[in-house]
Amino acid sequence: MLRIENLKKTFGKYHALDGLTMEVKQGALYGFVGPNGAGKTTTIKILTGLLAADDGMVWIDGEDAFSHGQQVKEKIGYVPDVFGVYDNLKVREYMEFFASCYGLEGLMARKRCSCLLEQVGLEDRTDFYVDGLSRGMKQRLCLARALIHDPALLILDEPSSGLDPKTRREFKELLSELNEQGKTILISSHILSELNQMCTDIGIIDQGCMILSGSMKEIMARVDQSNPLMIHVYRNMDKAMAILRSHGCVRTISIKDNCLSVGFTGDVQDEVLLLQQLIDAEVLVRGFYRQQGSLESLFMQITDHKDKEVLLYEGKPGI
Amino acid sequence: MKGNPVYKREMTISSRSIRLPMIMLIFNSILALAAFLNMYSVTTRVEVTAEISYSSFLQMYVFLTLIEFFMLFFIMPALTAGSISGEREKQTLNLMLSTQMTPAQIVMGKLLSSMFHMALLIASSFPVISLVFVYGGIRLRDLAVLLLLYLSVALLSASFGLCFSACFKRSTAATAVSYGFLVFLLLGTYAVNVFVRSIMQMGRADYVNQVGLITSQANSGVFFYLLLLNPALTFYRVIGEQVGNLDLFVQIMEEFGNRPSSPLMEAWVPVSIGLQVLLAAGFLLVAVRALSPASGKPRRKKKIIF
Repeated sequence: MLRIENLKKTFGKYHALDGLTMEVKQGALYGFVGPNGAGKTTTIKILTGLLAADDGMVWIDGEDAFSHGQQVKEKIGYVPDVFGVYDNLKVREYMEFFASCYGLEGLMARKRCSCLLEQVGLEDRTDFYVDGLSRGMKQRLCLARALIHDPALLILDEPSSGLDPKTRREFKELLSELNEQGKTILISSHILSELNQMCTDIGIIDQGCMILSGSMKEIMARVDQSNPLMIHVYRNMDKAMAILRSHGCVRTISIKDNCLSVGFTGDVQDEVLLLQQLIDAEVLVRGFYRQQGSLESLFMQITDHKDKEVLLYEGKPGI
Repeated sequence: MKGNPVYKREMTISSRSIRLPMIMLIFNSILALAAFLNMYSVTTRVEVTAEISYSSFLQMYVFLTLIEFFMLFFIMPALTAGSISGEREKQTLNLMLSTQMTPAQIVMGKLLSSMFHMALLIASSFPVISLVFVYGGIRLRDLAVLLLLYLSVALLSASFGLCFSACFKRSTAATAVSYGFLVFLLLGTYAVNVFVRSIMQMGRADYVNQVGLITSQANSGVFFYLLLLNPALTFYRVIGEQVGNLDLFVQIMEEFGNRPSSPLMEAWVPVSIGLQVLLAAGFLLVAVRALSPASGKPRRKKKIIF
């Protein structure tokens, strides 16, 4: 659905995007993650035609976004991070205005507006002024507006910022529903726990480059593999320790309240064999599991290079 | 005009706002007050001298149209200078630009809505202006020319207001620059001519002192043509012709070294209006370009090989 190759953008001497390459598959709910200043919003602005790129290529649904900018806009629905409203404009008029921006007029536009307002739960607010709506409602209205022309790709830039947890959950459910209906969604967010639960794919961007991308399952499996194996021993701790010390896949062991945290490099089969070995040696095991990784821990792991560099320099005398 | 979404939205919003009715009320109150005072002074004079001075009604026409002209010229930038930058401040510009609407459509929608407001102002002022018909002296054709002049002035001031609004991020900056440019058109074009002429005069005086000849009047050279962009001068030329008093216009022309009977002087009004319309088109083009950041392929930076 979306392919970006070697995208570059500089603001003066600052390289906002430094050869970004990424792909979003059809029907994916793609989490676009990165620290502040990583280049997420710049990428989104280039995709939506609000900013010109210095170099690179973007294809949306097989069409060159730079050569056919106006045609490509028909395929994109954009929800920005800040929701702008017009004074003295009602919800229905707001929707109909954006419908007419895509050439939708009359009965067709009115039907589409009603349908979308119902979908986002604003059907009873059609005669309310937009600037009088709550932030959550505005955000839902903005989503409905972005869907007015039935785009194939929905791009959301930090949509949950400033929303309360309940509204955020409702918004998340709405996005999942749209994804199930076949919409490809690219969502940039800082709330990683949410992305963890709803995204099918993820891409982590830092300093204008894609540093990690893939399906959520693949990435989380990689994260899990690097996490310790947690073994809760009920009886025969000595025997358990002896088995672990002699095991080839065990790198580190730490004990806390009869719970062993084991740095284990083996795969699932090795884990099963180790458990069997412990049971055969009459070690009573109360719990045996691999500690679950989170997107947040992965994000911190791969984007905290700057802090490490700073620490490194601080450690050296004279620098 | 009907199909432009921005124009339709602007009409909906302005119809609910008190801003336009307030502008119309103040605009017409000023005009009506000026007309009332003028008529009052004429009738008071009649009571004293028992003589009706019909030229006073022509003076009233000049006075009213002049007030209307300046009010239109000053109101239009106020209506347009914040229109695009205001959208940017409200974060709604990006929403519009991310749709299939082109920057040209956005600019045209804004221009049309401001021109519609101007048309409303002019139409609402007709009852006051028509007071001059009570005593005659002004033909309908004269009013048509006056309307054309108002249109060109409104187009020019709306265009540079929109242009600066598209180029500046803040409405305050756009408004300040718009009024700065307005002052330049009204006074700057004249001041440039005065300045250039005085420099030329100094040069001539030196030469005359050296050779002992009688000096001729110095002129401002090509800078004189800047005056064609001055809407106030063109307005004065039109009104002066209508009421049969072109003294000030002729004086200004001669001051800068031009003969009143030259072909340019004859065709001053159409040439000036044409140039103002061209200038307005240029401003609109700049506004459209300022709103089109991502047109075409990315410009690849050339590598310099030493």
